This record gives sequence, C-alpha cells and structure tokens, in this order.
Amino acid sequence: MNKRIKSFFSPLLIKRIKKFRSFKRGYYSLLIIGIAYLLSFFAEFIINDKALLVKFDGKKFVTLYSDVSLKKFIFAKAIETKENYFKYKNIPATDTLNLSDEKFITLKAEYERYDRIKKDFDNHRVLRKIFEEQKRGDWVILVPYSYGPNENLLDELGDRNPPTGPDRKNFLGTDDRGRDVLARLVYGFRIYMTFSLLLTLTSYIIGIFFGAILGYYGGKVDFLGLRFIEIWASIPFLFTVMVISSIMIPNFTILIVILSLFYWISMARYIRAEFLREKSNDYVQAAVAVGVSDRKIILSHILPNSLTPAISFLPFTIISGIAVLASLDFLGFGLPEPTPSWGQLLSQGISNLSSWWLTFSPMAAMFLTLMLIAFIGEAVREALDPKIYSRMK
Amino acid sequence: MINYFIRRILIIIPTFLGVTFIVFTITRFAPGGPVEMAILRYRQMQMEGGGGAMGSHGTAISEEMVEKLKKIYGFDKPFYISYLIWLGNVVRFDLGESYTYSKPVWDVIKARFPISLRFGVAGFLLAYLVCIPLGVLKAVKHGSTFDFTSSALVFIGYAIPGWVAGIVLLVLLGGGSFLDIFPLGGIHSMDYETLSLFGKFWDNIYHMILPVFCYTLGSFASLTILMKNSLIENLGKDYVRTAFAKGLSEKTVIFKHTLRNSLIPIATGLGSVFSIVISGALLIEKVFNIHGFGLLGYNSILDRDYPVMLGILVFSSILYMLGNIFSDFLYCVIDPRIRLD
Repeated sequence: MNKRIKSFFSPLLIKRIKKFRSFKRGYYSLLIIGIAYLLSFFAEFIINDKALLVKFDGKKFVTLYSDVSLKKFIFAKAIETKENYFKYKNIPATDTLNLSDEKFITLKAEYERYDRIKKDFDNHRVLRKIFEEQKRGDWVILVPYSYGPNENLLDELGDRNPPTGPDRKNFLGTDDRGRDVLARLVYGFRIYMTFSLLLTLTSYIIGIFFGAILGYYGGKVDFLGLRFIEIWASIPFLFTVMVISSIMIPNFTILIVILSLFYWISMARYIRAEFLREKSNDYVQAAVAVGVSDRKIILSHILPNSLTPAISFLPFTIISGIAVLASLDFLGFGLPEPTPSWGQLLSQGISNLSSWWLTFSPMAAMFLTLMLIAFIGEAVREALDPKIYSRMK
Repeated sequence: MINYFIRRILIIIPTFLGVTFIVFTITRFAPGGPVEMAILRYRQMQMEGGGGAMGSHGTAISEEMVEKLKKIYGFDKPFYISYLIWLGNVVRFDLGESYTYSKPVWDVIKARFPISLRFGVAGFLLAYLVCIPLGVLKAVKHGSTFDFTSSALVFIGYAIPGWVAGIVLLVLLGGGSFLDIFPLGGIHSMDYETLSLFGKFWDNIYHMILPVFCYTLGSFASLTILMKNSLIENLGKDYVRTAFAKGLSEKTVIFKHTLRNSLIPIATGLGSVFSIVISGALLIEKVFNIHGFGLLGYNSILDRDYPVMLGILVFSSILYMLGNIFSDFLYCVIDPRIRLD
C-alpha cells in the first residue's frame, strides 16, 4: 500500500501540484471552495432554528442537532405538573380547598408555566422569549442566525404573505412557504456539493473500471464493450432520467444511482484511450514479462499513469453535476421536498417573478460556486498541460 | 471507413429497440397510468352526479368496466405483446393517439417542431457567429488585457447555465421586478393576428431575443475556449514558422493558413444541428413558456401521456444518434487524416 502511494505521488505529480499552486486564481479558488465546503458541515452552529444550548430547570440540554431529550423533559414535566394541579383541584373536601391557598396558587402557576412552554417548545426563539419573561433562571443560547432551512415562519411573518423580501430578520427574505432563503441556500450548498462529489466519485469508479478493462484487454472485450457504450451513450439522457424519476419519486441515493448510470460514459472513453496507449509502453511489457498479475498491472502500473484526463475533467464533472441537479430540481424531478435546493428556489423564482430575491439568491450562490470550480478547472488543466504555448512573432 | 458508418447506422436499431423497450416497460408498470386515471375521473363524475347519497354503492366500478378501460388503453395484453404491437405501428409511422390532446401523436409533435427549430437554429447560428471571432481574437491577443477581460465573460458563461440566466433576465427585463422591456415568454403577442406584416416580423423577433440569448449562452464558454485553444495550438506549429520565415504577413498567416486548420474541431460541432431541437432546449422552453418539442415532452411526462412520451423518445433518440454519426462524418470529411474504424 505504502509503495502504491509512493508511486502515486511521483515526482511528476509533485511537479504538477507545484505548477497548479503557481496559478493563484485557481489555487485560491480551491482553498475557498474547500474551506466553504468543510465549514458547511458545521452550518448547524451558525444557521439553525434549533438553539445551541438550553438550560431548563437546572438541567442543560445540547439541542443543536436534536432537541428530543429537551422535548421529552418538558413534556414529562408538563404532564407531572398538570396531574399535581388537577389532583389538588379535585380534592372533594371543599373546606380544604381555599382559592387563596398558597399551595394551590403555586401549583396553578407551575401548571400554567409548563403549559405555556409546552405550546412553543418547538420554536427556540419563542422559547427564549418565554424564559426571559418568566425570569426563572432558564436560558436559551441561540445560534447567530436562528432560522432553519425547513422551518415554516408563517406565524412570525404577521400579516405579510410569503414570499417576503429581505429584511433585518431574514437577510434574504423568505420563500413561498415562508421558509428562510439564506438558510436554504447554505444547506443547499452542502447538499449540492455532496451530491455532485458523490456523483463524480461513483461515475468515475464505474468509468475507470470499464475503461481500464476495455483498454487493457482490448480485442473482443473492447469491441463488445465499445458497442455497449455506443448504445448506452445514445439514450436521450435528461428525458430518460425524468421519466424514471417521475415514476419512482427519487431520494438522494436513488438520484445518484440513476445519474451515475449515464455519467460514467465519457470517463470510460478517456481511460480506455489512455490504457490503449500506455499498455504498449515498455514498462508494461516488462511487468508482463516478469509475471505480474493483470490486476496489479492495471491498478498500480498503468492506472497512475492514465489518470490525467480523470483529473483534468474532475472540476468540470463537478460543475455539470451541480447543474444537472439544479435543472432536475427546477423541473420537479429532483430531490424530494422539503430538501433545501437551489433548483427548487429557482422554480419558485419563476412562478413569483416579482419576488426577485427568490431568483437572485440561488443564482448568485450557483454562480459563485460554479465560477470558483471553473477557476480550479482552468488551473488544473494548465498544470497538467506539458505544452508551453509559444508562437512566432 | 464506409464500413464504419454502415455499422454506426446499423447500431441505431438495437439502441432504439433497447431504449424504447425499457421506457415502454416502465410506463406499463408505473402506478398512476391512464387506466387508473380514467377510473378516478369516472368516480369523480359519479360523485358529482349522484351526490353523497349514493355512498359507496355508486362509486364502485364493475370489473367489466375496468376491463373495457384496459382494452381502450391497450393494457389488456401482456406488456411484451403490447410493445410489439406498438413497435409494429411505429414502423408504419403510426405513433398512436395522445391521451391529453385527443389527436394523433404525430400531428401533436409535428406542430411543435418548427417552434423549437426556430429558437434552436437562431441560438446555434448566433453562438458560432459570436464565438468564432471572439476565440480567434483571444488567441491572437493571447495574454493581453483583452484576453484577460473576455475570459471573465467566458467564466460567466461556464458558471450560469442558460436557463438560469433566462429566469434572471425575466426578473430584470421581463417586467418581473425591475424593467419591463421584453415579453414574459411565448412566441407571439396576444394581438398577433391584427399586426401588419412588418409588425408580425418584429413581434417574432421581439419574442426571440431573450430565449436566443440564453441558447447562445449555453454553448458560449466551451465554443469560445475550443476555438481559442485550437488556434493557439496551431500557431505553435512548424508550418506557421515556415510561413513566417517565407516573409508572409501575420494577417495572411493567421487567416489564410492557421485559421482553416483550427476550425476543424469547431466544425465537427455542426453535427449537433440534428439534435438541436432536443438538446438542452427543454429548460429554456420551460422558462420562456415556449410550446416546443422539449416542453411537450415535459408535459407528457407530467400528464402521463404515454403515447406522446414514447413518440418524443422515438424522435429524440433517432435525432440524437443521427447527430452523433453526422458529427463523426463531418470530422472525417473535413480532416482527411482522421481514420475511424
């Protein structure tokens, strides 16, 4: 394994990486996109309808990812106080029940307090307000931007009908179901990047596998495989995906599987061509002569030398992955509701043309992301290109 | 070489059979098909007609009725037999009758072709008219400020898909939120019939400006870069050196010698003129509400109008395959060094 890593990080590759780093625009784009993607996994700490921490009745709850334990606690407490209160209220001996009875009053207050909390414990912003009003030493620490991607804000918009424009509370406004647009954009970024990276990974694995086998074995395998690829590549791709997706409402995984079925083709072609060329080289003949297994020749001898097209197309494959998911979401054949999605926002944008923020926000997000990846792609391509463009005059 | 193209054309047949068979089978087993839709409609009619008093008795549908419906929609036979029947009809140029339009599928599709073609061809031509000169200029002035600033345009082209630009343009210029300069979509104004000849002509152009711009944007980036790289590569070749050594002017070298050679990869793209009506047009047609071929396919999927859906599949797969073959053919014709086999 160690050896394979070593052979992978050949001096040539190190030289190429150095060259890539010298293209500042592409290099910084890679840094920005990489950091943004990493940070997006901690988006819950910044943009979330759930609070960071809740202290309630002396107990602390971490509610960032799930507030189930807090809900259970509040619910149990609410039931307990309710039972106590009603038990006390229903004591039959009327002479003992005095409405100014101190115990009765505290029980009643306790009951009402929990009842009030129970009503609104889903909304942590309201919960915080209640805690502040009740002044019982309970507190809620909210995240900096406390709106969730799937949270419906209809109650808080008052008499305004969604979609509402950007304001001081919802920086990019709300969508047509009263959900915060900024939160949906950020979570959408995470989903779109993950989707596209996984799609690229799966289609690369399939493509490289087929391409390597066709190129290495050649002959009949190659002939049959190529015919199959020709047939497969002739399928009208978007239309077929739409048909399949209209029938089996797809989720994240199914969508990746369906799209990978079509995305591997171009990579298989490039890798096949690379293998055809590489296998006639002396080092491969030498390896065959000393009896190295086919598997080993393919994986550790030819493959590292054939990855140039795979690497140089990587950024553009990621771009097209994001674009295709956006178009499927736009057409309504993509990820199911209520997944935060740029394409879905764009489709809201076109049915609410006067709400410009519904169009401009996802457009800007998509533009920035794709532009940065295109910068990376340009730098990668130039780093891998041994030609130095020179011209006379 | 001829063998190669004969083989490519022959391969259309199994591909066509494979694709249509898969989609046909899917339509057969998908829930919400035409028979179920018809039963649903029938029930609704009964509910409205008979009121609530009929209760469950009135909404029941007899087995006989279901069988009849199945027969109407051709669902009474096993799917492979239905497929063969459908295929037999297709070979005789009969694509069946649309469920939603109650017209032969062929007529429905035929009406949509010119619309898609008009936008597709205009966008295609504009893309070549803009991208080739721009690519040449970028190559000739490689490394200059012009090259650098126009690269910004190219990256914008990469980063904004045509249909997204379409929505943005509608919001900006189509009377969405800001200016109201262009129409919201469609191909004609409401009062089209009353316009003069020139008025009609202008009305058509007026409705085409934004969509055609979006079509062009779709291929703008890749086409410009392809042209630039191709020319720049050729400029570094030995024959260019020779031409300069002979004392030819830069203009002659570039436009007479190099440009012709570097147009080869661009020209192969002309093959996609076949699939122009299907490729990527769906999204732009949806944005601008252009009732073309792509939107027809989209609506047929939504409405579960299987005959139209399969008809679209027949056309788009054949056009797509022909386009690919034509691309390769052009490649061979333009560059005699290329040998495909």
